[in-house]
Amino acid sequence: MRELVGRVSALDTEAGAAVRVIAYFDRLVQAHAGLEAIVRGAAMLAGCPACLSDPDRHLRIRVRADGEREDARTAPDPGWPAHHVGSGAAALRLERPGRAGPVDAIVLERAAAAARDVLDRTWGRAPARPGEDPALVELLLDAAAPPQARLIAARRLNLAGDVRVRAVAEEGGRARIERDPVIITDRPGEKRQGVGPAVPVPELPESWRLARVALRLAAEGSAQDPGPRVVFADELGGLMVLAAAARPDGEAVPDVLALERAGSAAPWTLATLHAVAYAQSLRAAATELTIHHSTLQERMAHAEHLLGWDVRTPQGRLRLQLAFALRRLARHPEPGRPADRRGRRVNPPSGG
Amino acid sequence: MSIDESPARPAAPVPFDPELGAALTLIQQHMPPLTSLDEIPALRANSALMPVPTAEQLSRDGAFDVEEREVPGPAGAPDVTLLICRPTGATTPLAAIYNIHGGGMIGGNRLVGLDSLLDVAQELRLVLVSVEYRLAPEHPHPAPVEDCYAGLVWTAEHAAELGIDPARILVAGGSAGGGLAAAVALLARDREGPALVGQMLMCPMLDDRNDTPSSLQMAGLGIWDHAANEIGWTALLGDRRGGPDVSPYAAPARATDLSGLPPAFIDVGSAETFRDEDVAYATRIWQAGGQAELHVWPGGFHGFEGIVPHAAISQDAGVPRMRWLRRILAP
Repeated sequence: MRELVGRVSALDTEAGAAVRVIAYFDRLVQAHAGLEAIVRGAAMLAGCPACLSDPDRHLRIRVRADGEREDARTAPDPGWPAHHVGSGAAALRLERPGRAGPVDAIVLERAAAAARDVLDRTWGRAPARPGEDPALVELLLDAAAPPQARLIAARRLNLAGDVRVRAVAEEGGRARIERDPVIITDRPGEKRQGVGPAVPVPELPESWRLARVALRLAAEGSAQDPGPRVVFADELGGLMVLAAAARPDGEAVPDVLALERAGSAAPWTLATLHAVAYAQSLRAAATELTIHHSTLQERMAHAEHLLGWDVRTPQGRLRLQLAFALRRLARHPEPGRPADRRGRRVNPPSGG
Repeated sequence: MSIDESPARPAAPVPFDPELGAALTLIQQHMPPLTSLDEIPALRANSALMPVPTAEQLSRDGAFDVEEREVPGPAGAPDVTLLICRPTGATTPLAAIYNIHGGGMIGGNRLVGLDSLLDVAQELRLVLVSVEYRLAPEHPHPAPVEDCYAGLVWTAEHAAELGIDPARILVAGGSAGGGLAAAVALLARDREGPALVGQMLMCPMLDDRNDTPSSLQMAGLGIWDHAANEIGWTALLGDRRGGPDVSPYAAPARATDLSGLPPAFIDVGSAETFRDEDVAYATRIWQAGGQAELHVWPGGFHGFEGIVPHAAISQDAGVPRMRWLRRILAP
């Protein structure tokens, strides 16, 4: 079968392989296959071990690529392709480094959907999920709430005991609580999210505070606001200090104004500068932007002229990174503070 | 309770095991059903059906010495090729599996299915001999079975040279190879040929009449259905297929005497053409005073274990076979 499946992917177009993957899991679901068969299907089709784990239900099913069940506990690597199973903490992971290819992504998605159906049918609904009751979540995030009330809320959200959790601030003001480790994928079209550090439940208000700071540094992921949509507070380091210092009602920073000026000069400028600021090398930046290396050189010369500083030196890159961070902090004021309350939003200057 | 045996209205099919059924959706397009003799060349060319190991895979990183021998065929017929895989460094004679490949009497070669048999041979330290026999319809009965028998006789006669313990040779085969292995066991008994320690018949193809409830019930489903089976038998027997004068050495289900045979291991899926003829063969061996171990795997289609080795039921099916081999081949 592995040979056959190998040939399926070798002979088939991507779309053909996808159709067969979908048919495979549909057939399993129709035949009321169990969870192990579903996880085995994922392992076999992806050609690597697959693991379904659900901390809420104390469930773990791991199957090797050859179909043998082997539940040996290995800590999930955050780099493995993963997919949520239902709305709870359950996840299906492919134990292989790197991003999921298009066919693997379909394997994960279909296997996760099939597993969710079986879990709901046979294991019953998981206990209430953090985030399903906004009032309880609000109570847990509120440092001023009475400790007893917060304890009861934690129990009702199945967060009693020795768990570590993260507060997540979503664009638009919604809050939710995630168990650690958490999988949050940065997808086009998704809301911006700031993720607070992992803490014991009583310290959630602090995780929530930092999550909201992280949210200010999350980008829209667009040409006008390039960068990651999901930002983890515990990866920000000194930028947290910068965020605290950059008051929304402070004066506009000249480097941010220079970025705005460059951004309005040509549609590609900001994405190009962002790639240059964060890529491992200029070559990697060109690859990320899918432009030729020489095109990148030309664009950079132009952008540097608009900015007024050399972005190829370490100092210039740091200055550029800080300009992007300050620009995001200005674009995304703290939740609850209207952006233009005091006319502080930095507007792109007209002309160029 | 009544059992409807009317061929005109076969019972509902046995559902496939969930994992096997899902796997069928992946492989069916690579295994078009066989519907006429004209399609035999295409079937032979379709290697997806029967993956074969490479020369390096055969030697298992030096675990086996691999050689091929041309040995005398049946009287007046060409030589027969035997592939011989012998564990390296053996100092005492070893038990041997004499393997007859599958392929519906019309396809396959001596390498087909050898990978899993090499696993067994490596674990149990066995010599593995695999015979290349002539195929129907170019070579109808008795060419295939006589080639297989000639190779067995040569192997037994040259046991010392091959490092084989002549008292511990068993015949084995899957599908058509299972039918041929059963027929070779009948021939060895009737011609007072090599003594066999066992016959391992994996979903064997035994009955040219092709009219059991399972054959009718599973028509059009799974692998090697009623129509394909009719083509295979017709290739082997021509117009005689299903008629009154078919030799038991062509179709062992036709044998009237199943006494005096070596212990049999028979396994088959419940959702395939051969289920009923294989169960009947085991039953008739018991009724004749012989030994047989029978396993029927629920929802298994023909050859499920080799085609879908990762499935839970395939993993399970390998276990009792291994245990039977350990018991039967213990020195």
